[in-house]
Amino acid sequence: MNPVYMAVAVLLPMLGGVLIPVIPFGNRKRMLIYIETLVLANSILVFSLLLNRPDGHVILFRFTQNLTVSFRIDGMGTVFAGIVSVLWPLATLFSFEYMEHEGHERYFFMFYTITYGVTLGIAMAEDILTMYFFYEMLTLVTLPLIMHSLTREAILASRTYLYYSLGGAAFAFIGMIFILVNGRTMNFTWGGVLSASSLGNSITLLPLIYVLCFCGFSVKAAMFPFSAWLPKAGVAPTPVTALLHAVAVVKAGAFAVMRVTYYSFGTELLRGTWAQNVVMGLTIFTIVYGCSRAVKETHLKRRLAWSTVSNLSYILFGAAIMTPAGLVGALAHMICHALIKICSFLCAGAVICKTERSYIHQLDGLGRKMPKVFLCFTVSGLALMGVPGLNGFVSKWYLAAAATDSGNPMAWAGIAALLISAILTAIYMMTISLRAFFPGKDFDYSTLSDIKDPGWMMLLPLGLFVVGMVILGLHSEPLITALESIAAGVQ
Amino acid sequence: MAFVQNFPFMSIILSLFSGPLSTVMDRKKAKIINTAVLLILTAMSAAVLVYVMGTGESYVYTMGHFPAPWGNEIRVGVLEAAMALFFCVIMLLCMLGGVLERELELEESKENLYYVMVNLLLCSLLALIYTNDLFTAYVFVEINTISACGLIMIKQNGRTIEAATRYMIMSLLGSGLLLLGICFLYDLTGHLLMSNIQQQVRILQETGAYHVPLLVSLGLMSIGLAIKSALFPFHTWLPDAYGYSTVSSAAILSSLVSKGYIFLLVKIFFRVIGFDIVKNSKVVNVLFVFGIAGMIMGSVSAIRENNIRRMIAYSSVAQIGYIYMGFGLGTTDSVVASIYHIVSHAATKSLLFVAASGITDASGDSTSFFDLTGAGYRNKLAGAAFTVGSLSMVGIPMFSGFISKLLFAQSALESVNKMLPTLIALAISTILNAVYFLKTVIRIYAPDRKLASEKHFRTITMADQPQKAAALILFIILNLALGLSSQPVIRLIRSGLSMFS
Amino acid sequence: MSGWILLPVFLPTIAGILLLVSSFREHLARTDGMPVFIEDKEVLGKLHQFTAIVLTVSVVLALLAALSGDRSVTLFYLMKDIPIYFHIDEVGRINAVFTSIVWLAACFYAFVYMEHEGEEKRFFGFYLLVYGMLMALDFSGNLVTLYFFYELVTLTSMPMVLHNGTREAIMAALKYLLYSMLGAYMGLFAIFFLYRYCDTLEFVPGGSLNPQLVSGHETILLIAVMSALIGFGVKAGMLPLHGWLPAAHPVAPAPASAVLSGIIVKAGVLSVIRVVYYMVGTEFLRGTWVQTAWMVLALLTVFMGSLMAYREKVFKKRLAYSTVSQVSYILFGLSAMTPAAMTGALLHTVFHAFIKTVLFLSAGAFIFRLGKTRVEEYTGVGKQMPGTLWCYTFASLALIGIPPASGFISKWYLAAGALDADIGVFRYLGPAVLLISALLTAGYLLPIVMKGFFPGEGFEISEKKEAAPAMLVPLAVIAALTILLGVLPGPLIHYMSRIAQALM
Repeated sequence: MNPVYMAVAVLLPMLGGVLIPVIPFGNRKRMLIYIETLVLANSILVFSLLLNRPDGHVILFRFTQNLTVSFRIDGMGTVFAGIVSVLWPLATLFSFEYMEHEGHERYFFMFYTITYGVTLGIAMAEDILTMYFFYEMLTLVTLPLIMHSLTREAILASRTYLYYSLGGAAFAFIGMIFILVNGRTMNFTWGGVLSASSLGNSITLLPLIYVLCFCGFSVKAAMFPFSAWLPKAGVAPTPVTALLHAVAVVKAGAFAVMRVTYYSFGTELLRGTWAQNVVMGLTIFTIVYGCSRAVKETHLKRRLAWSTVSNLSYILFGAAIMTPAGLVGALAHMICHALIKICSFLCAGAVICKTERSYIHQLDGLGRKMPKVFLCFTVSGLALMGVPGLNGFVSKWYLAAAATDSGNPMAWAGIAALLISAILTAIYMMTISLRAFFPGKDFDYSTLSDIKDPGWMMLLPLGLFVVGMVILGLHSEPLITALESIAAGVQ
Repeated sequence: MAFVQNFPFMSIILSLFSGPLSTVMDRKKAKIINTAVLLILTAMSAAVLVYVMGTGESYVYTMGHFPAPWGNEIRVGVLEAAMALFFCVIMLLCMLGGVLERELELEESKENLYYVMVNLLLCSLLALIYTNDLFTAYVFVEINTISACGLIMIKQNGRTIEAATRYMIMSLLGSGLLLLGICFLYDLTGHLLMSNIQQQVRILQETGAYHVPLLVSLGLMSIGLAIKSALFPFHTWLPDAYGYSTVSSAAILSSLVSKGYIFLLVKIFFRVIGFDIVKNSKVVNVLFVFGIAGMIMGSVSAIRENNIRRMIAYSSVAQIGYIYMGFGLGTTDSVVASIYHIVSHAATKSLLFVAASGITDASGDSTSFFDLTGAGYRNKLAGAAFTVGSLSMVGIPMFSGFISKLLFAQSALESVNKMLPTLIALAISTILNAVYFLKTVIRIYAPDRKLASEKHFRTITMADQPQKAAALILFIILNLALGLSSQPVIRLIRSGLSMFS
Repeated sequence: MSGWILLPVFLPTIAGILLLVSSFREHLARTDGMPVFIEDKEVLGKLHQFTAIVLTVSVVLALLAALSGDRSVTLFYLMKDIPIYFHIDEVGRINAVFTSIVWLAACFYAFVYMEHEGEEKRFFGFYLLVYGMLMALDFSGNLVTLYFFYELVTLTSMPMVLHNGTREAIMAALKYLLYSMLGAYMGLFAIFFLYRYCDTLEFVPGGSLNPQLVSGHETILLIAVMSALIGFGVKAGMLPLHGWLPAAHPVAPAPASAVLSGIIVKAGVLSVIRVVYYMVGTEFLRGTWVQTAWMVLALLTVFMGSLMAYREKVFKKRLAYSTVSQVSYILFGLSAMTPAAMTGALLHTVFHAFIKTVLFLSAGAFIFRLGKTRVEEYTGVGKQMPGTLWCYTFASLALIGIPPASGFISKWYLAAGALDADIGVFRYLGPAVLLISALLTAGYLLPIVMKGFFPGEGFEISEKKEAAPAMLVPLAVIAALTILLGVLPGPLIHYMSRIAQALM
């Protein structure tokens, strides 16, 4: 396909989104149809782009002669763009029913749709500057979504989000500059753009710069000690928490980390340095820390958010292994976790939307009243735990396989962390399912009399996600083969 | 000699004499004259810029045909012309944006005086830009100080008078040091014309004679101008002066006055002493340290501030810190970055001041944070403009601030020793900027839960304040233009700098 | 074409799922949380018929599959180069056979027993489902398949624990789930490393460790194996993670606790055998600190379990502690790594399955008929339910190891194997602990027999309340087996020792 379509795919949702508050739709239904069509059309466009990958690149504009904002699709970009474009139409569909009661719908959908374009911008960025550009944009366009309810809590949360995210970007900026000045090119190139000879004296600073850059980008991926914003951001409407804080935004952080590690800094120069140990140590700690906080948390969405914190660090851990196999594991977990977490969040959203209960002790007995939702929730919980047959096991397997292969004792400790986190996951997910399905002998169901499963717009995405989890869990070979070819540098 | 070559001199003279003219007019006519003069000056500067860019080299304009070393000279290169043009434009926009406040806040009889001050200020700024003579520069520095004091004081209340007094004292201290430095230099070289001094300095450097006095002179001049441009820790006069004066004054003071001094410092570095010598002296290290300290401390003070105007004022301290850090890095690239930052900060800071006035207008003229809640909904344009300004300050791509941050960081990587402190300071300062600017942005978009009528809030649309709206829109465009197509500006600064030496 | 060997996996699984779906549908219509009792005899009969037919057919198929020689089948590829692969070998065969027998017997017993617990549909649904999973576990031919079904056994058997829906039961089920998951993950930790250091994940008698890959990484591999031993030991109730067992087994309905204690704990044993004898190989482990630690843990468990059982007054809890102790006999036998001890361990696996089933089923019968849960109350039960108590007595004798009952044979081999082994002080310490534990076993099992049959003077003999034939017959059959296998152990011993020889 013509490379120009990449720019179209990024700009279409942005422009279409901006138009939402402006167009006189008449009634709500027409607006929803417009939004869904827009999103779906864009997803189709993205998919045809991914399947017929354009050879060249397209330059959106130039900051200076050689600093450009430009797009190109490669293997890793395909993975992220693919995830995003599959999930976006579904999550949008879900949000139609959810947002009915939240108000300010037009502005909500405006920013929601713009975010789609910005996320694609990150996925298809050709160089580190473009990625940084859209990374910052992402912070800004998602801010109103967190603020959406305009309660005091939401405003505080959005403030925290902003400080963390921009702060992270400020440190990532250092890494970007380092690449811009010292790299052969600023385009993402498999294996990195730095070489010991071109770095000269600065090579002593390389590990430090890398750590700063890693930490900077991993703020969005909520790595400890930068994870506090994510649970707080749970005050946003659930479609936002589900799509953005489980997939788009946080995965953008993880994606950026993988990009700079494998495509800019290059693993050759970093493997075995103290930088690797530091970042791996942080991710390992976060894996356990996030889960422990999730166990302690009694608020449903915040619990899931802490779980996201932990799972994102799985991805970062994969990246920190710094072998091609590690990248395979990381990418596999990026895909698997996206499916799992969006499903469990949307289940939580359905519960909150239909019952207005958001604390876990309030969920007793709901399994019988909303069986479909809780079935999906349980499956996603099992997948998150890594029960074989569901996709969570697959990604965990490849992460661990990469860790054992790397021969790095720290990575071995990481495997232990993965498994500790799995048991903690069992605690925080299964207690919810058990509560919902088995409230105990003397539970009085009459208090739940008018609660029932939500409508098709909510259930359809959930069902599709569950099917996706099972299929990926049972038949992961094509996916892994594709990821391995990416990690071999073939793209 | 082309006629255009006369324009620099003519513009200085024009602004100088339009001042006295304004005093005898009534306020309306004075305003018209002032605007007309500003427009003419803009046009002249543009013409000069086009001319110099066409010829590709600088020229010297000898006043009254007295040759050096007796006569007085004006020297015009690309950078000078561009700066003059830019200063005129910003001045025009600031005047446009503050027109309503001037009517409200100034005594009727004082308004004429205001235009006098503005014209004088512009005259001194242009002279500072163009002059090739150190002593002339000193004279206009003083004129500049006096007119700036007038601009602060003209909104008469206790605070502005106190602020003006403080400003006066600090400024005079600065001028004194500058004068001392100039005297030393005159003593060493026997010249006042920049080009001549440079020749002598080069000879001194080669022979190695008078090394220490030369250094002292450089230090005195640097410190003097640093005090005048409010480098941390000499910034104490600044928040009050910017925070309580009328809007156009604050905008002009923050974006132009301090920048004039900084530009003079650049000229001293490049045209008087020679950048090679400056680079290798310890003076740059001192400036570097204070610059970084300013970046951090200015922002920290801004975070503690509860008054939006003072907050923006403190932010200026931080931004001046950026500029001095650029000098401190001691490479041509870093000076380019500093000069670009002069431009970008001037454009952004005046935008912020004008936007803040729009926001406070909609909040019962209160500058306190607590009254600003929801102001972004009451005055949409000012809210949007403030957001743009804030994002630019934080250094979000697309806005001018990002480019200066990029240039600073890139130039930092050239020096091994100062690379890490610079990068870290940039990152921390970005975070701090984000904290106070975006906190404000979030606040003005947070819903106000108290009754609007209780606090005399009003909703302001573009039609209510057309001049301010126009100024804001132009500022936003200027900002985006600087952010999205910075290349011509940077190229211009580069070629201008190369013409300096 | 050996695909049919999976029929005993799929048939009960599908039938179980059907029952569960139907049960869940009924629940959706209801407004209270009380258990569903099927009042209509005809419906109940149909349910029983359905379950019985499905299970019988499955058991027959399973036995056929198990006895039809070494067959293997690859179902599909779970991951790149890792298939879900089934292969029937000796150890799997043994497990499949005794699992099938016990499952069938307990099923008939449950038809009567579950009448007073209610929720039959759900119970039998899960009952069938777990059977399918266990068959798959027994037949699995590589480590990942084993792990897959290990997890599924945990998940599907968990609802049987919380069957009665009390808070205690739910908490116990949660405890069971989490302990088992923890164990599984510790096992998974080892699997990751075995994947790296073994030539294949398929089970190869004697192990398939690749010495070249291992050299230099022995420590981490030993840690991994230890982690697997502790992890899979969770299901087998080995210290230090045995805590779930005394909580979960007693609260489940009697047939469920019988199979939990008799069969499902053996899933842990099977996994340990697979890891140690079919993946790592004894050569690598013998004489290492792992063997010592394992042995210490096993012996400690043997002793502690008996002691706790001795002190416990709640009958089913006492039996649960007894399981803790007895299963570690097996683990001790495995840890000795001599053919004789291995033979003893395998024999004890089978015998304990039968014995513990009898014990739990008879305990269930007492509770069902008399409602007595504490051992002090059992005075004179022999007068009321003599048949049940006789079955209990036989099983007790077998468990204690009194000749000629079956337990004696296995314990003999265990002790003999330990004496053979080159394991330092444990050569003597091991058998000594086994002996002390046997005494304790007698101490906690026999008082019930004695008080039951000889209530002493002044005991008022109430009317006979013998358990229903449908309960008594399965009980008696298995009880007879426990004795019979002790009297005629020849072929079994021969078979087991051949396996053990092949594995060393």
